[in-house]
Amino acid sequence: MIHVDNIVVEISQRRILDGVSFTAHPGQVTAIIGPNGSGKSTLMKALCRDYVFSGTISINGRDVASMDLGTAATMRAVLPQSSTLPFPFTVREVVAPGLTAGRPGLSLSALRRLPDEALARVDLSGFGGRFYGELSGGEQQRVQLARVICRVWEPVLDGVPRFLFLDEPVSSLDIKHQLMIMDVARQFAASGGGVIAILHDLNLAAMYADQIVAIRNGAVAGAGTPAEVLTDSLIAEVFDCPMRVGALPAGNIPFVLPQSAQRFVAAAPQSKVA
Amino acid sequence: MPESEVQAVRDYAVIYNIRLPRMIPGVLIGAALAVSGLLMQGLFRNPLADPGLVGVSAGAGLGAVGIIVLGTTMLAPLTALLGIYALQIASFIGGLITTFILYRVATRSGQTAIATMLLAGIALGALAGAVTGVLVYVANDAQLRDLTFWGMGSLSGANWTKIMASGPIIVAALAVSAFLGKGLNALTPGEATAGHLGVRVQGFKRVVIVAVAAATGASVAVSGGIGFVGIVVPHLLRLVIGPDHRYLLPASALLGASFLLMTDAVSRLIVAPAELPIGIVTAAVGGPFFLWILLRKQRPW
Repeated sequence: MIHVDNIVVEISQRRILDGVSFTAHPGQVTAIIGPNGSGKSTLMKALCRDYVFSGTISINGRDVASMDLGTAATMRAVLPQSSTLPFPFTVREVVAPGLTAGRPGLSLSALRRLPDEALARVDLSGFGGRFYGELSGGEQQRVQLARVICRVWEPVLDGVPRFLFLDEPVSSLDIKHQLMIMDVARQFAASGGGVIAILHDLNLAAMYADQIVAIRNGAVAGAGTPAEVLTDSLIAEVFDCPMRVGALPAGNIPFVLPQSAQRFVAAAPQSKVA
Repeated sequence: MPESEVQAVRDYAVIYNIRLPRMIPGVLIGAALAVSGLLMQGLFRNPLADPGLVGVSAGAGLGAVGIIVLGTTMLAPLTALLGIYALQIASFIGGLITTFILYRVATRSGQTAIATMLLAGIALGALAGAVTGVLVYVANDAQLRDLTFWGMGSLSGANWTKIMASGPIIVAALAVSAFLGKGLNALTPGEATAGHLGVRVQGFKRVVIVAVAAATGASVAVSGGIGFVGIVVPHLLRLVIGPDHRYLLPASALLGASFLLMTDAVSRLIVAPAELPIGIVTAAVGGPFFLWILLRKQRPW
């Protein structure tokens, strides 16, 4: 379980996060939503201890601020928004957990199979020998996800759940691969791990998240199940934009339809086409 | 004494007094420069970083020139205190300060912009060069001749005393570097990711900077600034064995040692019986090579 209690982050005397609290459970996907500049990425960086924060964050009961970096690395893996590599690594070298510091605690033969299995999960079988720098942005993002899931290959290790932190995991992906990546996250949670993902697509959040935490101006504007958080009034308030929320009949999953403010303004007289 | 014994004594003298004191520093300095280049490239996440190119050698040179020119006057207590290590330690400190300033200026939130790094390197190199110039200006004739040859980079001034002073520092820096491969790999996607993987990034960077300054400083103290070894060697190896630092580190040390030994032989033979400063030979090879790298930069490396 990840417990975030009253987190405050200040960067050059500007308060970016102002008392954020929530709990992310293993076995669940927790989606963090909110407009640009609301503090989502700062929250992610606080979770990873990239930023100094006040308040407490604990993973499985252990304080993150005082945790050894190596221990933290075994408990959670972090997918950054994007990664460029200055040197010509192949895809398999990027994914292989042996390339970077630390070991994910697997037998040697399992370790050797791991990169290709992970690549298969993100629909990149056969890409192992390609150069990372020659892939498209979306493919690089999937390679990075494969690298990250290699770090926490067993969602539960020695009875302790592990976590995936995903910072906009689907932002540069086509629709098929958006769903595929979210399926990977979903499967990780179904096997007992926990996922915290920053998402911009509210419908993906509705479809895949067990819990949604909505952030606005550095504070939690609402938290709960998708049906609790994704309401006309809350979403319109968080994003400062008119929206309509409907519900799919099966499973009562909400869906969100953005309403263009322009549509309701009387159409301006059109200029004649010459 | 029979002719054969005379021959043996002469051979011994040539090998022990002339060849070896040049080859040993050649091997050590070649390895030190290549590994320093590789370490800087990993630290700055940039394949164009090189101690000679970004002012670190100039900073180390300033430290050394300071000792050569002022060692008997203003800095006499320091030379007395440090003995044969004075030159090495002064250039180590010069290199350390330059590397540290360069890193602080060129790196913002874990990302180093190549333009900033090269420009900051030019500025630091010019600054170190200016102060060095002042020192050269006040130097006497004997010092001046030393400085001129030393400044172009040459192994001709090497002797056993210098080997005893610089050798252990270079060997120590190389030994430490051998353990930095995994960390440099983790650093490749950026400092934040390295931290997430469990690397203590700040401490790791400090070790890298000290290793670079030690290896470069101890090399510069013996041979002056020898450019381009640090960029040519790791780059060639990356093309052949790939960018994994665990293999690149030992391979760079070996190829760097061979490369400098070879260029030193060329520098001795090409205008024999006179000799060319080795820095001219490495620059003649390295300059075009560097331009070639820039021209094919549309590739991902």
